[in-house]
Amino acid sequence: MRLAKYTKFREEKFGGVLFETRSEKVYSLNPTAAAVVREITPGVNEREVIERVKARFAEDSSIVERDVLAYLADLRQKGLLED
Amino acid sequence: MTAPASTTGSSDLRAPLYVAWQITNECNLACLHCIEESGPGKAFPDELNEGEIFDVLAQLMDEEVPYLSFSGGEPMLHPRFFEMVEYVCERGAQLKIETNGHYLSTENCQRLAELGVKALQVSLDGASRETFNRMRVRGDFDTAVAGIRRLHEAGVPIEINYSPTRFNVQEIGAAVDLAYSLGAYSFYTGRTMYTGNAVKTWRLLAPTDAQYEEYFATLHAKTEEYRGRMRVYFHEMGLLEELRYRLKNPAALLIVLPNGLVKLLNALPFVCGDFRRDSLSDIWQRFRLGWQDERVRHFVADLEADPNKTSALHKWVTL
Repeated sequence: MRLAKYTKFREEKFGGVLFETRSEKVYSLNPTAAAVVREITPGVNEREVIERVKARFAEDSSIVERDVLAYLADLRQKGLLED
Repeated sequence: MTAPASTTGSSDLRAPLYVAWQITNECNLACLHCIEESGPGKAFPDELNEGEIFDVLAQLMDEEVPYLSFSGGEPMLHPRFFEMVEYVCERGAQLKIETNGHYLSTENCQRLAELGVKALQVSLDGASRETFNRMRVRGDFDTAVAGIRRLHEAGVPIEINYSPTRFNVQEIGAAVDLAYSLGAYSFYTGRTMYTGNAVKTWRLLAPTDAQYEEYFATLHAKTEEYRGRMRVYFHEMGLLEELRYRLKNPAALLIVLPNGLVKLLNALPFVCGDFRRDSLSDIWQRFRLGWQDERVRHFVADLEADPNKTSALHKWVTL
């Protein structure tokens, strides 16, 4: 799994931005979303992303897992993520 | 945990997201509508030198600007063009080249493919030799089309740009079809601006309201026809509407001129920085303040009463 070829991520004080340069669409990310995207490095799988995010947040791990999976699905649906 | 995604403006960002850099004003062509008044021998006398160019590029990459474009003039005429492309691509930013398509040899296309540019945007203001060559003085339709074919063969993503005039609007449907047949993934157009060379040639260029109406109707139809295969993207808004929108929603975009000056927007005369003197972070700060400057608001407000104000965009006003 990795960010789509034409998608760039940058961290910001408010969280981060994803910039899809083909459509020139910009997505603003809150700190939690940015924490997920930060962990999407080439070759990583969903389980690894979930575990890394869980390690960052002292929340109920089942909630973290559910939300990370939902967010990854949202990124895929927007064409920002590829497997 | 929530993770919303929405569009964002420039106000909270630590650096621009997009830098559109006119790397030279030199051009092999002298197009009737050129907003930059580029042409043979039209390089600015004070264009940035090699050291200054790579200093600016290093700042842009260090601040993680994710997306750049190189335009001109004709950017491929710049003596350091390929070194600049190589630097940006190696540092991981995405790069679009805006070209007239006259230097797209097999070797150059292969090199651009290997370097991994995001896209080449080629200006193709006509679906026939007659209209293209009339618009693009010294240019040649067949040369540009052959260059686009070589880009496609090399695997470089292609965008086509089309500027409407009263003598080429009727070809828009054929131009969109041609772009698709040449392998483009995107087609861009809008309204031709009354500035630069167009001020002198407006009588020949300006489409009528009726022509624009038909032009955009065709584009709406072509958008549907090519949906899912090629993106047809057009700005139907006039300049005034676009500027009003930008006042409220400035894009995180810097326009860099060949001499290092930085403009708020191509369609405004205001300069908010100088890369020879200012750092990127200083320029970015001034850019954000610039959009709130009274002079900018007055310029846009006055444009409603006097649309000809765009004729003087090259008389820069430092904020």
